[in-house]
Amino acid sequence: MTWLLPEGASLSFNGLDQPLRILRGLGGGTQGQVFAVALEGSGSGETLALKWYFPSCIQRDPQLRDRLNQSIRLGAPNGDFLWPLALLEPSPTSNSPSSRGFGYLMALRPDGFVGAHLHAGGELEISLQTVLKACFRLADGFHQLHLKGLCYKDVSLGNLFLEPGSGRILICDNDNVDIDGRGVGSVLGTPGFMAPEVLLGQARPSASSDLFSLAVLLFRLLTRHDPFRGRLELTIRCLDEPARRRLYGEEALFIFDPLDHRNRPDPIEHAAALVTWPIYPEGLQRLFVQSFGAGLRQPQQRTLTGQWIQALGRCLDQRQLCPHCGQETFAEPEASSSCWSCGGPLQPALHLQLPHGRVAAAAGNQLHPHHFDPLSNANLDTPLARLVAHPSDPALLGLQNLSDHSWQGVLSSGASLTLEPGQTCNLAALQQLHSSAGSILVVRP
Amino acid sequence: MAFPNVRLSNRPLHFIYLCDCSGSMAAQGKMQALNQAIRQSLPGMAEVARQNPEARVLVRAVRFADQAAWHLAEPTPVQQLQWRDLEAGGITAMGEALNLVAEVLQSPPMEERALPPVLVLISDGQPTDDFDAGLARLMRLPWAQKAVRLAIAMGHDADLEVLQQFIGPEPSGAGKSPRRPLQASNATTLAQYIQWASTAVVGAASMPASRVTPAPAADRPNPSDSVGNIPLPDLPPTLLDPSVDVGPLVW
Repeated sequence: MTWLLPEGASLSFNGLDQPLRILRGLGGGTQGQVFAVALEGSGSGETLALKWYFPSCIQRDPQLRDRLNQSIRLGAPNGDFLWPLALLEPSPTSNSPSSRGFGYLMALRPDGFVGAHLHAGGELEISLQTVLKACFRLADGFHQLHLKGLCYKDVSLGNLFLEPGSGRILICDNDNVDIDGRGVGSVLGTPGFMAPEVLLGQARPSASSDLFSLAVLLFRLLTRHDPFRGRLELTIRCLDEPARRRLYGEEALFIFDPLDHRNRPDPIEHAAALVTWPIYPEGLQRLFVQSFGAGLRQPQQRTLTGQWIQALGRCLDQRQLCPHCGQETFAEPEASSSCWSCGGPLQPALHLQLPHGRVAAAAGNQLHPHHFDPLSNANLDTPLARLVAHPSDPALLGLQNLSDHSWQGVLSSGASLTLEPGQTCNLAALQQLHSSAGSILVVRP
Repeated sequence: MAFPNVRLSNRPLHFIYLCDCSGSMAAQGKMQALNQAIRQSLPGMAEVARQNPEARVLVRAVRFADQAAWHLAEPTPVQQLQWRDLEAGGITAMGEALNLVAEVLQSPPMEERALPPVLVLISDGQPTDDFDAGLARLMRLPWAQKAVRLAIAMGHDADLEVLQQFIGPEPSGAGKSPRRPLQASNATTLAQYIQWASTAVVGAASMPASRVTPAPAADRPNPSDSVGNIPLPDLPPTLLDPSVDVGPLVW
């Protein structure tokens, strides 16, 4: 690759006391290139990322500089965004090929995060719980962004990174973010993710078109399939622009539309959708039907970020392990149902009743502050407790205290115990725990 | 306890190089430059393919000199491709090369469903056979009409008119455009164009990228995406000057 900024060079920028060393080029796209950089003489050796724009991009997008300054002033919605930190323009003295352009500094993407396309392409080993956590964080990220009055405009698989072990995410390419409703700026979105009204040129990207794109991205992550690629796609020989306009715009039809079955997945070509869609509880499926059915043409009908957060959180709370095959299942708690993977019957299982929710007792499930306090923002970052299997006897299930306080427990026998931070108590004997956040009641089926 | 081992079904994307191997390509290291440019572009192309769950990128190459022949006949996944050097010698059977490509773009052997093919014609001279007949035969095929057709002119002896006919109607306005023959006047520019075709264009033809509103025609150095069924990405900015074609230099 030919780099816009010379690798190894030390360049001066307006507003920076020390020059910036260009360590190496990291990659390039259609808008510009990204470099790893470090402040000279800072001693800390902290490396940052610098995105530098192509002149053609700056020319095409006259509001880019103002938007970046605005985002830098407003600050990141939460820590899941690789948000612009500072706008950089070369100082008048610098004599480099880059002297006409500008760029912005952001944090370097940490190791361990991979492009979400790897998951969509089936190349990642990842658990269903992790994918649901990533989806929860994604919905939460856009919730926070929209609450700030902003819109993102280009939600797609290409702008999302995942940590496959934890379900943490990073939302990248935040340079299109703008105040919602301004309707200026050059980006329209990515075909396949764009809301139909934007794809068909009837509207500009906005928070409500973000909601459509978010629903597509959640569907892609949860099913490894596309919400509009069903039998109707099979009639398309060459999948080019006009074909995509029909498939995602003019003639878009959700593959699981409850009334119109014309676009159901083909058992051979679209097997992924048929395997993965039944995994999810009806409460979550309904939100997709809403967004891709009525919400297809009526933006105000689209599932809101808060609804996604609630449904995805509930789905995580319902997670159970199939007693027959060990797969993760997410059946509604009251209904008796069968495992999506092996077909074996699922019985209502042991669960924990909390002041503001219930969590199925399965190793790996977690209790969070929002389970206790309805005013607490739903958030996965500070679990209070987690369900763990005994290290030498996996059949024994315990609850581990992740808080900084000691908790009091009442056993079925009436005896009591103290659970210190970090300790785990066996659920089999437990009736109730009085945690620092509230009571945890063990409910047996 | 893992996500089911399924993935989005993908479609093949056929990428075909048509390489001029006439005797003049032996001069000034042009043949070597082309071999190098293609070989160097492969890792980037493989990375684009990897990022693209919707596409299965398959590469082939035709060489043409006294005759046209498949240099790489098997549609090869780009991740597995090892570029064998082309050798120069002979005249310029470009029309016959188009015939060969026409044979593989009809169904069968062409799949029933695919992404738009990408055809890249690279030449430094004039066709010495019946170019018009070859082009006419090719362009009767729906897959050729849907294909992204690019041409790279090496040096200043290339027949730009012929290359433009291969691409299609010339765009209005002046300046560099991917819908015009790309003039590679030196090895660096050649490598940039080959890299652009094998990464940015492959990306555009397989996975839709972020879309931007077209700027008013007057402000646009590259009136690129006004025609065709695939919006083409901007041409790579050269370090010499990002917007002005400097014209042929010396090889």
